[in-house]
Amino acid sequence: MLSFPEEIVLLLLDETRGAFVPLPESVFAIVMSGAALMDLELRNRIDTDPEKMTVVDRTPVGDDILDDVLVGLGKKSAHLDITDALYDVALSAEDYRVWALNRLIARGILREENGRHLWVFRTRRYPIIDDTEQQEVRARLRHLVMSDEIPDPRDIVLICLVDACALMGVVLSEAELQPATPRIEQLRKMDLIGQAVTRAVSETEAIIKFAATTM
Amino acid sequence: MEIAQEQDGDVMIVRLSGRLDSSAVSTAEEGLSAATVGQPPRVAIDMSGLSYISSAGLRVLLVLAKSVQQREGKLALGGLVANVHEVFALTNFDKVFKIESDLTSAVAAVR
Repeated sequence: MLSFPEEIVLLLLDETRGAFVPLPESVFAIVMSGAALMDLELRNRIDTDPEKMTVVDRTPVGDDILDDVLVGLGKKSAHLDITDALYDVALSAEDYRVWALNRLIARGILREENGRHLWVFRTRRYPIIDDTEQQEVRARLRHLVMSDEIPDPRDIVLICLVDACALMGVVLSEAELQPATPRIEQLRKMDLIGQAVTRAVSETEAIIKFAATTM
Repeated sequence: MEIAQEQDGDVMIVRLSGRLDSSAVSTAEEGLSAATVGQPPRVAIDMSGLSYISSAGLRVLLVLAKSVQQREGKLALGGLVANVHEVFALTNFDKVFKIESDLTSAVAAVR
């Protein structure tokens, strides 16, 4: 099973071009941070309530990204503010993207392709070799959103992450998206870290929009 | 956290008390999975003694609810104290679970 940082990197790759779908770096950083924190939450290394996040077990999980995050959190106070932790981990998001890509390549899910655009600019693409995981996740999330089924904790995390990246459009058709919005909102609120991700992404997008309109 | 069970006809009553957080997850998982042996399971959980619930605790209850749904059973929670109810409302868990004011109503809801 892939970790959430690996899942989100895979979901952000355009399967036809092998390039990342457009997403502001600051938004990606928050989503990657949320993916790592929610993964640690499901592995019972951290616990949350509406007031705080607590590191409850510092035993490494055997995953370079998650263990790096766990070590970083362990250096801070026992009780953390969820949003502060989210922004702290986000500082390393670009490193984590590279680590996740390398692992997906090593697992035979992606391959790296170097090329040139207009014979000048170096480009790097990651065509998907084995899209089984990507298709399975999309199918599972689509079924969950379109039904009244009780979600499992892993699917709640994926809904939070996919929605934060505005990627629900690759899971649902345009006609399905609008009527499914209340259900998506219901599901994405079911994780406290996921809620913090949604808030942080909204704030970041508002800042980007403001900056773009005042320049 | 403490967990106690009693059978009332076709309904399994589970009483949770104390704090349901990451330190109580294994105990809660064991106790709650044992409570869903009926076919289909009918489970009423008395939450009146539960003073605190964290994300880890919510996940344990969510997994239970999913298991009961998959086996076409019924599950209801009764007697949530204010701060626990608040966490349920904040996370939309109050839309997933049937929540009753007390245990008697929870038992009636799953009959």
